[in-house]
Parts: sequence; structure tokens; C-alpha cells
Amino acid sequence: MTKFAQLGADIAKLWLKYGHSYISGIENTLILALVGTLIGCLIGFICGILNTIPSGKNDHPLKRFFLGLIRVVIRIYVEVFRGTPMVLQAVFLYYGLPYFTDNAVKFTSVWAAAIVVVSINTGAYMAESVRGGIISVDPGQTEGAKAIGMTHVQTMTSVILPQALRNIMPQIGNNFIINVKDTSVMFIIGFPEFFAAHRAAVGASYLYFPSATVEMAGYLTMTLLASFLLRWAEKKMDGASSYELVQVDPLTMTAGTYSFPDKRSPFDERNPEAEKSALRESLRRQIEREEALRQGQLAEQRRDNGIHDTGFGNPDQRGEH
Amino acid sequence: MDERILQINHLSKSFGSNLVLKDIDFSVNQGDVISIIGASGSGKSTLLRCINLLETPSSGEILYHGKNVLGRGTNAAEYRSHVGMVFQSFNLFNNMTVLENCVVGQVRVLKRGKAEAQAHAMEYLEKVGMAPYVNARPRQISGGQKQRVAIARAMAMDPEVLLFDEPTSALDPEMVGEVLNVMQRLAESGMTMLVVTHEMAFARDVSKRVVYMNGGVICEQGSPDEVFGNPQKAETRDFLSRFRG
Repeated sequence: MTKFAQLGADIAKLWLKYGHSYISGIENTLILALVGTLIGCLIGFICGILNTIPSGKNDHPLKRFFLGLIRVVIRIYVEVFRGTPMVLQAVFLYYGLPYFTDNAVKFTSVWAAAIVVVSINTGAYMAESVRGGIISVDPGQTEGAKAIGMTHVQTMTSVILPQALRNIMPQIGNNFIINVKDTSVMFIIGFPEFFAAHRAAVGASYLYFPSATVEMAGYLTMTLLASFLLRWAEKKMDGASSYELVQVDPLTMTAGTYSFPDKRSPFDERNPEAEKSALRESLRRQIEREEALRQGQLAEQRRDNGIHDTGFGNPDQRGEH
Repeated sequence: MDERILQINHLSKSFGSNLVLKDIDFSVNQGDVISIIGASGSGKSTLLRCINLLETPSSGEILYHGKNVLGRGTNAAEYRSHVGMVFQSFNLFNNMTVLENCVVGQVRVLKRGKAEAQAHAMEYLEKVGMAPYVNARPRQISGGQKQRVAIARAMAMDPEVLLFDEPTSALDPEMVGEVLNVMQRLAESGMTMLVVTHEMAFARDVSKRVVYMNGGVICEQGSPDEVFGNPQKAETRDFLSRFRG
């Protein structure tokens, strides 16, 4: 028990002195993981779409050649970046570029370098996930879209990708959580993420285990929060589990009767002129009706129907009684 | 004579070494309601899928208003927007509501405004009796309801011809009627229809022409009275006797 008290005291000591650097480490880690995952998903989607463009025997030979070339390039990209550790990719990019170009080309900010490495790495994983997500959508969906005349791009953006995205949401979540943890290797290029804060703190305080405890708790909090949010997002994407029957649908009433008048024509309801004349017309009718009431012509009918004239009612509706 | 919409000449289709359609000649005129009947594997569905270019024919030509759509440089998507299709497995878009299903094609393919497309979609959803379900998703409605929505979706594109690929085969028996009803009303409204079906009553009572396919060729065709009442070929008599029991 005393050990736990000791640990608590050490953590408190660390937090007092390095708390701000832990906090900013968490911030940087989350931003890097989020941006990297988003750009990675984008890369993955582009690769996935390019990979699934259909090419038939009837296509132009040049088109088939380019599609083949694209597929080979994507394949190489996926295999290389999926098959090497991210820590080495970071080193290659950050130190390799200036080495080969005599400092002519280099990353001036570790942020840019870190985001590029995480994005490219995530993209390589996502390319395969997206391809799988697209394949997993029932081929009937593609046929349904084609049958109403959609092009490949329209089919993809309206029908297939939304469903593929839903299917690969768990994968995206996986990648995000992996990125939250694996961005810890970015200390190698001096990126100030959460794990770098740990290294800085223990370098000065020698409180190795207490700091590691802080790290553990920090990473677990971040990933738990992430999985919670992802589950919520998935639920949102599924839409409502029930639906309302529309008994009196306003569209049904007008379906087929509305003839889409030309803009600014007298029939256009949005035409200010038409609106004014409609208002004049309704006023005129109201005055006429009130005149008639005064003359007692409608008094009998009014009593029978029990209508109470408020003076503001829609004259058209009243006219139906 | 009514205007000719589709003319199919010497159409053949093979999957590998399996010749599924053999030299089919066939035409569809404005206002035709044609039932294609025949045993499973006789090539009926393949013929329909070839007409909509979902399968690429091996040889032959499909003339749409006199223009061959199998040549290079034809816009398959544009052609398909004039030739609607209703599938055996409905193929409603699972990521959309009933109304969105009927609107998306009009907006994206025909470039209609959203309000106009919705009003147009409602018109057809009303006709198939699915107007109350506009907010439902495909997974929440029954098979017969899905198929009626699929018909509304196809009709909302204002196609010249509507192809039906065994529209009632995946339905429970009690749902077949509601779909056939809708199809019968469509036929009566003058819609040009090409229906692959196993519903002999529909073929006999609703269609104006019946085509019997057997082994990848058109074995016999004519008015329902001719084909059902006085079949000329032994194969046709065989096939029909199996249905009469």
C-alpha cells in the first residue's frame, strides 16, 4: 500500500513540474493521429477507387494501359509502406531527403514530416481496406445504379462509397487508435508528442516508472474516448432504426398538379409582383365578404355552420364552407 | 405501325464455351407489353441483361431508334437512362430512404431540380401505393414493397422501355399479387414493357405478345392466344403442359 502512496506522490511531483508538457504532448498526439488518419483515409479512398475502375475488352487500349499502370503503382506503394516500420519511414523521409540532395530538399518542420509519414502509412493500410469495403457492397447495388443510367463516378459517389465507408468504419477506427499509439515513434525525428514528453521528463527526474504510469493512463484514456466516439458515429451513420408513416404528405397533395412556372412569370409564387397581386386579391375578397355579411345575406349560413369570423382567416378556406 | 424502339439482330452471348444466346432476332415497338417465358437456363434473363448492357453481347447488334448501342463510342449510361430495369433482387440503394432512392437518379443523371424530382418521385410512389413509406429504408420494408419502390424508381426516370427481370420470383406468394397489380396498371397505361416471368397468368392476360425461349433461341412467339391456345412447336406444348399440371 505504501508503494501506491509512493507512486501517487511521484506522479504528483511529475505532474507539477512536467504537467504542461504531458498535456501539450497529448494535444500533439491527438492532432497528428487525427490529421494523419483523415489524410490517410483520403489516400486510401483514392487508391481504392482507382483500383476498382472496371476495364473491359471494349475499352480503348490506352485507357487499359493506364489503368494497369495505376494498379501496379498502387500495389508497389501498398506493399512498401505496409511492409516497413513507420519509425524507419520517418527516418528515411526526414534524414534521407537532405542526405541525398545536400540539404537542398528537406522538411523545415517536424509537423509536416510527421503528418506526411503517418498519412502515407495509414493510406497504405486503408487502400486495401477500402478495396475490401467496395468489394463487400452487393454487386446488385452497382447494377441498380447502372440501370438508372449512372456513370461509374456517380455510382461510386452516390451508392457504393457511402456503403463502403459504413462497412470500413471499424477499420478506420482501428487505424485511428493504432495511430494514437504508434505516433510515439515520431520522437525519432524530434516530434513533441506524448511519448516525447515522457522521455524529456524521465531524462531530468529519473522517475521512470511513475512517468510510464502517466503515459499508460493517458494513452488508454485517449483510445477509450476514440472508440466511444467511433461507436457513436457508426450508430449515426446507420440512420434511424424506425420510420414514420407519412399519412398526409404535403408532397402527395401537389404531386402532378404543380407545373413549375417560369421564374418571374405571373404564375410564379416567388414572384414579388404575383405575391402583391395575390394579397390585393385576398383583401378585395375579404372586403366583399364582409360587405355581404353586413347586408345579412350570409348571417343565416354563418349561424348554422357556427363559424367565428376572426377577420384573419384565409378567404379561400372560408369560401369552402 | 407503332414506332420501333429496339431492334435486336443476330444477338449471341457466350460465357466461356457456354453459348447462352444463339442468334436472337427480336424487336420492341412503342406500347408493346412482351412476356418472355421459358425454363430456367433458357437465356431469358441474359437476353434482358444484354438489352440493358449489363452483359456485353458476344456478337450481333442492338439498335435503339436505329442506332447500334454496341458500337464503340456509345454512351452506355445515357442509353440506360432511357431503358429502365427492375431486378429480381430489387437492388434498392441500401444507404438511402425510399424517397431518396427514387430521387437520386433524376437529380444526378437527368439533372432535375430536387423539388421537381421529389414531386415526380411522389407521383409514382403514389401510383405504386408506397407514398406513406417515403422515410423508410429498404431494410425496413417487405419484399413486395421493395419491388414496388423499385418500379417507382425506374418509372421516375421516364424511360421509354421498362425491363422486368423475374420481378416476382424472389417474393413470398402473398406479395406476388401486389407487384403484378402494379405491373398490370402500368401496362394498361401504355408503358412499353419487356417482362421475363414465370407468372403464366400475367403472360396470358396482360401481355400483348408472348415469347417462348428454349435453349438460347426464340422457339415461338405470338399473341397470348396463339402461344397459349394453339402452340405450334412440341417444346412449347411440353413447357406449357408442365404449368397447367
